[in-house]
Amino acid sequence: MRIVASILLIASTLAPVHLLAQGRGRAAGASPASQRPPQTATPQTYPADQLATGQTLFVARCGSCHGRDAAGGEGDTDLTRSSLVAEDIRGDKLGPVVRSGRPDKGMPPITVSDEELAAIVAFVHERHTTAETLLGGRRSVDVADLQTGNAGAGRQYFEAACTRCHSATGDLSGISKRLQGLALLQRMLYPGSGGGGAVKAPAVTVTAPNGQIVSGTLAYRDEFTIALTDSAGSYRSWPTRRVTFKVDDPLSAHVEQLGKYTDDDMHDVFAYLQTLK
Amino acid sequence: MTGGLKKARLILAHRDHGVSVLLAATVALALGVIAAAQSLDPATLLKPPADSWPTYHGDYTGQRHSALKQITPSNVRQMTLTWAFQTGQNQQIKASPLLVDGVIYVTAPDNVWAVDARNGRQLWRYTHPMNDAFHIGQRGVAVYKDFVITTTPDAHLVALDSKTGKVRWNVVIADSKRGYWSTNAPLIIRNHLIVGVAGDFDNLPGILKSFDPETGKLQWTFHSTPAPGMTTPASGGATGGQMWMTGTYDPALNLLYVGTGNPTPVLNGAARPGDNPWTCSIVALNPDTGMLVWGFQASPHDTHDWDAAEVPVLVDGEFGGTQRKMLLQASRNGYFFVIDRTNGKSLLTSSFAAVNWASGIDKDGRPIPNPAKEPARDGRLVAPNEAGATNYRSPSFDPATGLLLVSAQDAYGIYFFKSDHGAYGWAGANYSVYGRAALRAIDYRTGQIRWSHDLGDGAAGAGVLTTDSGLAFTGDSAGNALAVRTSDGTTLWHSGIGRVGTGPVTYELDGRQYVLLGGGSALYAWALPEP
Repeated sequence: MRIVASILLIASTLAPVHLLAQGRGRAAGASPASQRPPQTATPQTYPADQLATGQTLFVARCGSCHGRDAAGGEGDTDLTRSSLVAEDIRGDKLGPVVRSGRPDKGMPPITVSDEELAAIVAFVHERHTTAETLLGGRRSVDVADLQTGNAGAGRQYFEAACTRCHSATGDLSGISKRLQGLALLQRMLYPGSGGGGAVKAPAVTVTAPNGQIVSGTLAYRDEFTIALTDSAGSYRSWPTRRVTFKVDDPLSAHVEQLGKYTDDDMHDVFAYLQTLK
Repeated sequence: MTGGLKKARLILAHRDHGVSVLLAATVALALGVIAAAQSLDPATLLKPPADSWPTYHGDYTGQRHSALKQITPSNVRQMTLTWAFQTGQNQQIKASPLLVDGVIYVTAPDNVWAVDARNGRQLWRYTHPMNDAFHIGQRGVAVYKDFVITTTPDAHLVALDSKTGKVRWNVVIADSKRGYWSTNAPLIIRNHLIVGVAGDFDNLPGILKSFDPETGKLQWTFHSTPAPGMTTPASGGATGGQMWMTGTYDPALNLLYVGTGNPTPVLNGAARPGDNPWTCSIVALNPDTGMLVWGFQASPHDTHDWDAAEVPVLVDGEFGGTQRKMLLQASRNGYFFVIDRTNGKSLLTSSFAAVNWASGIDKDGRPIPNPAKEPARDGRLVAPNEAGATNYRSPSFDPATGLLLVSAQDAYGIYFFKSDHGAYGWAGANYSVYGRAALRAIDYRTGQIRWSHDLGDGAAGAGVLTTDSGLAFTGDSAGNALAVRTSDGTTLWHSGIGRVGTGPVTYELDGRQYVLLGGGSALYAWALPEP
């Protein structure tokens, strides 16, 4: 049942789905669940009645995406492991985010009074502090959990299946320094599905009705619209039925692999990627 | 045929001859078929008139198929927006609107609106007191006589006066402090108001309750998993199995069919050995007593949060050369089931989306879970993902083609469990890796996919509606409402109204067929242009 709380609802209410499904444009950073929660920089305490008010407000106004316990759903909505919350002092960083939203991540602006905001901030800090004290939290995946693969077998698999696009000494050189644990695993399976930084948008070429050929990076696509960002940084869109276009999406090779990997393959390739220092 | 249907046919016939709507209405009045305003006799649900959508699924079958055919594949492109109703809320409309006596009732968590079906004007609004329960969605009201009944995030059941929106009674279904909430659109069967709850962040017994719709007095409780102190059903230590979606009903058999949710603890299967009945199941209950008549488990020993709460669609038709009373379910676990609904025996099991978690199908038609795909410390790559191959979004059955149209998803997720995660609530960790949505047409006689229409990245949120003219309405994952040809899935109309989170509904008023689709937090009414 949790899905309703997590990806569907996030995707459905707040964001263009491709942002969430593929994570394009997502800020860099490892997946939160692979790490211990960042420690609160400035410990803060809040009165019980304010916490109670904050809980009511949070669940009603924020809970549909961030979970009723602020531990989130899938994706980056777990506030108990948020570094922004860790750095926040009484709403100085959270306040602007709540009130302005995060359009790039699909979060709408939330209208709250100063008093309501303070209560929400109090509750989020309380949840964050509680999470810090839990050992092996219910959603934790530690780097040590993922060490069951065989790097040699993984190398063989990699060389047969992945080298059309990737190189151990090229784009993936040093990958294990940049990403570890769950973030590396998610990046390996489908870039953009977890942490690990922004994914380059696919290249697209559109032949406009007047015969003009326009190239750029894919900005949007559905059944009826194709849009790109051209070399000048401008957004341009067309009805799909009026133009011909070609999208070169390298991620389609990752989708194919998802149907082919055994769990052993997955762990082996992961083990091999960990050796690319 | 009821008076209401006669009225609809008469109006259509007169329109064809250019006779005024007023005359048609007068004919209808003369036949005495217009009921008292804003009131619904529960017997109406046995054969809903064309000028209504009086219960969550439109009728008891769950087919979400309408006999209306004014809007056709050839004229659907001419549809025009007749009105839009703005809720002004952040929350998306995930409800099926109901229509009774010219008034639409539509919901969001803590809210019910009564809206004039002819112009989208608000008549009244009910706002539930702010509460700290889970505001995840609300699927719609039930109407009984002049009561409009809703569930709330804090698991209350609230009956409103259909004329004013004032509270008539308010009772607690389950204790929200323990972790229950409700999104459920209740189901009326005679004088039973049947309602379910949700809650799988906590280890809670699965409950479905029946209340007296006039007073809110409890009539019975069905447990899908045992309450503390109970020994039945023998769930193997599992709790959960919440019945958070609206069921269907066969009046001839007097059986209520409901899908049950996942077991808890959710990802820790070792804590609850065995099949864990009746979680992830379809159960057939006597609506007068709440007693179990039969159960069929879609996912024995689920460890992936794949509720079998999806709509059990009731179909009478030919199967394998024999006329059958069947129940169809496209389940969240990626399997499509055809069941003899008289006894719960399997007729057919097939997959309709990417699946890799079962090692086969057992003699009873149930997928056999592969233990190697249970969540593990180092992670398991599983199809579908937690969101599932489908979900709460209602499918539609088209009798003419024998197709069940399902908003499906091919998806992968990774699932983790280690002993540190414990045995309470979620008890594990999982992440979606990839998903792609498609509208799939399943031939119920074979389980074969007749056609598949891409709906974009991730999962779509819309239900499906089919009509006798051969049209199907739904929404894609990018925010387009769609009409496609039922027989082959070709797109015939679209409108970018925002993410469609509702089950589309249709009705006829004043000789005009309307199609209602929720886009974002607004409700849109489409129809052909007035002559």
